Amino acid sequence: MRRLPRTPRLVLLVLLIAGLATMPLIPDWFPDQSWVTNSRLFSFTQMFMLITLASNWNLTGGFAGYVDFGHAVFFGIGAYGTGILMNHGWSFWPAMGAGAVFALVFALVIGWPTLRLKGPYFAIAMLGTFVAVREIVRVSKGLTGGGVGLTLPPYLNRPLFYWITLALAVVVVFIMWWIRRSEFGATLIAIREDEVGAEMRGINTTVNKITAFAIGAFSTGIVGGLWAYQNTFIDPDVVFFPSRTVELVMMSMLGGLGTVAGPVLGAATIYWMRDVVWANFADYHLMVEGFLLILIVLYTPEGIMGRLGDKSATSLQKVWKRNGKVPEDAVDEAVEQVTP
Amino acid sequence: MTEPLLDGRGVTKRYGGLVAVNNVDFQVFPKEIVGLIGPNGSGKTTLFDCLSRVQSIDEGQVMFKGTDITRKKPHQVAHLGMARTFQVIRVYRKLTILENMKVSRQWRGEQPWNQLRPSHRDIETRAHELIEFLKLEHLTHENAGTLSGGQRRLLELGMALMPDPELVLLDEAASGVNPTLVNEIKDRIRELNRDHGKTFLVVEHDMRFISDLCNRVYVLNYGQKLAEGTPTEVMEDEAVIEAYFGT
Repeated sequence: MRRLPRTPRLVLLVLLIAGLATMPLIPDWFPDQSWVTNSRLFSFTQMFMLITLASNWNLTGGFAGYVDFGHAVFFGIGAYGTGILMNHGWSFWPAMGAGAVFALVFALVIGWPTLRLKGPYFAIAMLGTFVAVREIVRVSKGLTGGGVGLTLPPYLNRPLFYWITLALAVVVVFIMWWIRRSEFGATLIAIREDEVGAEMRGINTTVNKITAFAIGAFSTGIVGGLWAYQNTFIDPDVVFFPSRTVELVMMSMLGGLGTVAGPVLGAATIYWMRDVVWANFADYHLMVEGFLLILIVLYTPEGIMGRLGDKSATSLQKVWKRNGKVPEDAVDEAVEQVTP
Repeated sequence: MTEPLLDGRGVTKRYGGLVAVNNVDFQVFPKEIVGLIGPNGSGKTTLFDCLSRVQSIDEGQVMFKGTDITRKKPHQVAHLGMARTFQVIRVYRKLTILENMKVSRQWRGEQPWNQLRPSHRDIETRAHELIEFLKLEHLTHENAGTLSGGQRRLLELGMALMPDPELVLLDEAASGVNPTLVNEIKDRIRELNRDHGKTFLVVEHDMRFISDLCNRVYVLNYGQKLAEGTPTEVMEDEAVIEAYFGT
C-alpha cells in the first residue's frame, strides 16, 4: 500500500493531536453539545494510558523480541510508589516521579537475571515476578495497606488528567519513533532477528536489552502513578490486574509488533472495539471480543502495520522461534541449497 | 619475525565424550589469506566458533593481536578487530541493507547516549561505500529478507567489513552461491587483502576457491590437524588424499 508523503502525514498528525488537545474545551465553547462529557473524557484518558503502556511494552516485546508477560508489575510499582509516598505527605508530582524511579530500579535488578532467558522462559519468569510482587504487596500491610489497599487524596479534574495522559502518550510515542530511527532501535531489532549474530558483530546485547527494559519500566511506572491518583484508591487486585499485560500484548500484536504506530493503532482499536462489543453483547462480550481477536491474530499475524507494509513489523510466532537461535527460515534455505 | 595476528595453542573442544577439536595449534599472520579445510564433521566450524567465542574452549589458549581472548565475550572479541561470517547466513531480515550495515559497525569507544542519535555521517558514508563495493547499491533500502542467497552472502561479507576489522573469518562464503557471484566474492577478498591489508581465515569446501585465494592451508580431520602448507603441498599430501577419498 502506498504511504502518504512525509509532509502531509506530519500535518495530519499535528492536526489530530491539536484536535484531541482542544476536546476538553468544547463544552465551554458549545454548551449545548452532548458528545464531550466527563465520561467521554475519562474514556479517552484510559485510551491514552493504554497507548503509552502498549508502546512501552512494545519496546522490549516488539523491538527487542523479549515478550514480557509481567510488564504490569512496573505499573503496580509506580502506582504503589506514588500512593505510599502521597500517604506520607508527598505531593503528587514528586511522588509520581519517585514511583517511576522505583519501577526503573526494579527493572534493572530483575532484568539482569531474567533477560538472559530466552523466549517463553523469559515470559514465564516475568509472569512469576508479577505474581510474586503482588503477593509481597498483599502481605506488607504496614507499608501498602495489604488487601485493604490505600486511599489517595482525591483530585477530580477530568480535563487535567486528559491533557496529562495525552501529553504523556505523545511524548512516549515520539520517543519510540526516535528510538526506532536511532542506532539503538536498529540494535534492538538486530537482537530480535538474531541475537547470537548481533553479539558476534560487537553488540553488547545484555546492556541494550536492559536499557530498553528500564526505559519501558520507567514510563510504565509514570502511568501507574497517574492511574493511582486518578482512581484515588489502590489495592493489589485492582493494580496488579492479571490480564493487564495480556491486553498490552494483544494491542501490540494487533497494531504490529516492532513498529512505532502499531501499539497506538492496536490500543485505540481494542479500546473502542471493547466499548462497542460491551454495548451490544453485554452478556457474552468477552466471548465475542476473544473470537474477534483470534480472527485478527490468525489473519493479520504482523498486525495492521504489517498489512500496511511497515517492514519492521513481525509476529509473535517469529519472535519466539528466533530467540537465541539461527532464524528458522535461514536454516530452511540452507537445507534447500544443499538438497539436490 | 612478524608476530602472528591470531595464535592458537592446544585448542580443544569437547561435547561430552566427543572431542570435536583436539589439541590444534595454528597461526595466522598479518595480511595472509589462510584456508581451513577438511571433510564434513572434521571440526572446522567448531574451531571457528571457538575462535570467535560462540563456543567456549575446554583447553588451550587463543591470542589475538597479543591479547588472550580465551575467556572474552563474543562482542569483546569483535571489538578487538575480529569479524566473521556464518555457514548459515545470518543477516537481520527486518532491517534494510543500509541498516544491516550500520548496525554491524560495533560500538568502539562509543558512549551509550550517542546511540540514541541517528548514525554519524562517517558511518553512513562507510556503509554506502561498502554497499557500492559489493555492488548492492540498487538494493540499499530493501529489507535483507528480500535478497537472494548470493546477495545475502555479499551483504554478510559487507557487515563483517563494516567495523574495519584486522581479521575476517569467512565460513563457507561460496556455499549456495552461483559461480559468477563466487568469482565476484573472490575478487573482493583479493582486493581487500591486497589494497587494504585485511587478513582472512577461510573455511571452504570448494578446493578451487581455496587454491585460488589462500597462501597457506590447514587441514583438519576428526578434530585434529592433519596437514599444513601451501595449497599445492596440501593437495598432494597422502594423508589428506586419504582423508578426502579414503584411498
